[in-house]
Amino acid sequence: MAGAEFAAASGAAPALGAMSVETVASKQNPDGGWPYVRGVSWTEPGVYAVLALLAAGEMGPARRGLNWLRARQLADGGWPPQAGVDESTWVTSLVALIPEEHLGPAAHRRAIAWLTSCMGEESRPLYLFNQWISGNPRSPEKDFPGWPWVPGTAAWVAPTSLAILALDKEQRRRPSAGIGARIEEGRRFLFTRMCREGGWNHGSVRALGYESNPYPETTGMALAALRGVQAPELNLAIPVAQQLLAACRSADALNWLRLGLMAHGQLQPGFCPPLPIRYRTVPEIALNLLVAEAQKGGEVLWS
Amino acid sequence: MKPLLTRREAMALAAGAAGAAVLAGCGKPDRLPSAPARVAIVRAPAYDQSIYDTMRRLLREQVGDVKGRTILLKPNLVEFEPDSSINTHPIVVHAAFEAFREMGAAQVRIAEGPGHRRNTLDLAEAAGYFATVPNFEDNFVDLNLDDVTRVFPSRQFSRMEKIYLPNYALGADLLVSMAKMKTHHWVGATLSMKNLFGVVPSGIYGWPKNVLHWAGIEECIADLHAAFPRQFAIVDGIVGMEGNGPIQGVPKQAGVLVAGRDPVAVDATCCRIMKIDPGKMRYIRLASGGAEGSIAESNIEQVGESIQSVATPFKLIREFRRLRLEA
Repeated sequence: MAGAEFAAASGAAPALGAMSVETVASKQNPDGGWPYVRGVSWTEPGVYAVLALLAAGEMGPARRGLNWLRARQLADGGWPPQAGVDESTWVTSLVALIPEEHLGPAAHRRAIAWLTSCMGEESRPLYLFNQWISGNPRSPEKDFPGWPWVPGTAAWVAPTSLAILALDKEQRRRPSAGIGARIEEGRRFLFTRMCREGGWNHGSVRALGYESNPYPETTGMALAALRGVQAPELNLAIPVAQQLLAACRSADALNWLRLGLMAHGQLQPGFCPPLPIRYRTVPEIALNLLVAEAQKGGEVLWS
Repeated sequence: MKPLLTRREAMALAAGAAGAAVLAGCGKPDRLPSAPARVAIVRAPAYDQSIYDTMRRLLREQVGDVKGRTILLKPNLVEFEPDSSINTHPIVVHAAFEAFREMGAAQVRIAEGPGHRRNTLDLAEAAGYFATVPNFEDNFVDLNLDDVTRVFPSRQFSRMEKIYLPNYALGADLLVSMAKMKTHHWVGATLSMKNLFGVVPSGIYGWPKNVLHWAGIEECIADLHAAFPRQFAIVDGIVGMEGNGPIQGVPKQAGVLVAGRDPVAVDATCCRIMKIDPGKMRYIRLASGGAEGSIAESNIEQVGESIQSVATPFKLIREFRRLRLEA
């Protein structure tokens, strides 16, 4: 990622700036996908770029991006993080955020099915049985299944938050008891992984008895996934997010903190990120565009 | 590179010849004639300008000819806390960067893939790398987001049958692991070999790289060590970390840089400096390839300072006090 930097794109409640939309479009690879900065196409930047271009009405590059994404879907219904990787992972949640009328109903349905069948390995019956046989105490933190980065491993805050966002979007469109139950379990998972002071890190509340601190980006993601939830824990988490927002200088973290606070009506009107903020990757630029759209009232990630 | 067959290279050859039985612990590889690993210990009391000259001399004496080679410097970047002792100090990395360029390397890049925080360049900026290394971004590769190749470990210790690794790391002529001398609450100590967790791409495996924990942390350390046969190790022990490392421990001044071509021998030496018994460190035993005698102090050629002259006990959390090196 040498020498990577895009034009700073921050400003007072920035509009969906033509320059940044052009920047996203200009970074599109000939195959229709997007790199993080340069190089081969990856799923994550592809999704954020497509969402931003769709919001901006830039249908040409968006369609090419959608074609790239559709062609990468694996036989199990999920998506790999990069072309050439043979396993579906957390990025399936991101693809499922794309409205089905754009992604295609069949592809979208299979993505949702993949997500509902995916959970942290520590919550699977076989693992729990093995723990019981081994005499290991049951941890209450593991009572509620979340989502892993990669199948076969434990659940963490970021992939769980993204899965909830995708399933919640589906639930609004096509309500289902099964999906509703997974969303509820996922949200309970997030509350069990909240840091004692409020906010979230990657998902390790304490290690060997030592408390750990929240991160801005995961705090924003979790708050976004808890949109519409009323819970006393949020009285701790929201002030922490506001403190992190005031101190944060990372584009990715600022994007997610703004989305998280907006999800609870707690982002100060007219808030603009402090300068200088460097938007270095396609996801950072594209998500910043989506945040701007959300600040104007758009429901980019939720509807 | 030196043409001499090192102990590490001989071990790799022996292991290859002996095959799976050796890896399963069913036999020992035949010993090939080899030179003992050499590890240099140099005093470096502070992060100041003298580091540049110290590093220049250290690398000229220990690395050999790097003219025309591509060098990847892999620091340990973990958290946004520039005043802590979590990250490899940027001046140490910049000193190595300058030294390798002066030695004629065709390309020197700093590369890292942090395991917890996904905004790598923001992390590097907060850790002081932008302020210390001119044109840092032009000389940096985010290993979490690099293009990858699927690799099937040739010497498998962990349960991972395959792993995707970044092309930049796989293609480097020399991977220089620039670790921090720290205690670690899962494996006892994190040194040059554990630092290779940072080459596993989070873009594929996530933040954290939990797949390594499920496959066995110590076994994965040994697998990654085996996956990169062209290594040099430098451990920043100027100010390390003791107690509940690798993040929540407290700074510990050891005042040394430890370096060598054999990461197993370098890590074993660092352990002795920290008053940890390397023979009790499972991943060091695994990576030594069944030849545990090779990590004996008497089988490592120490140059520069003696271990005894710089050794200082690093505090260990209760779970790892059993690792303490007995007098």
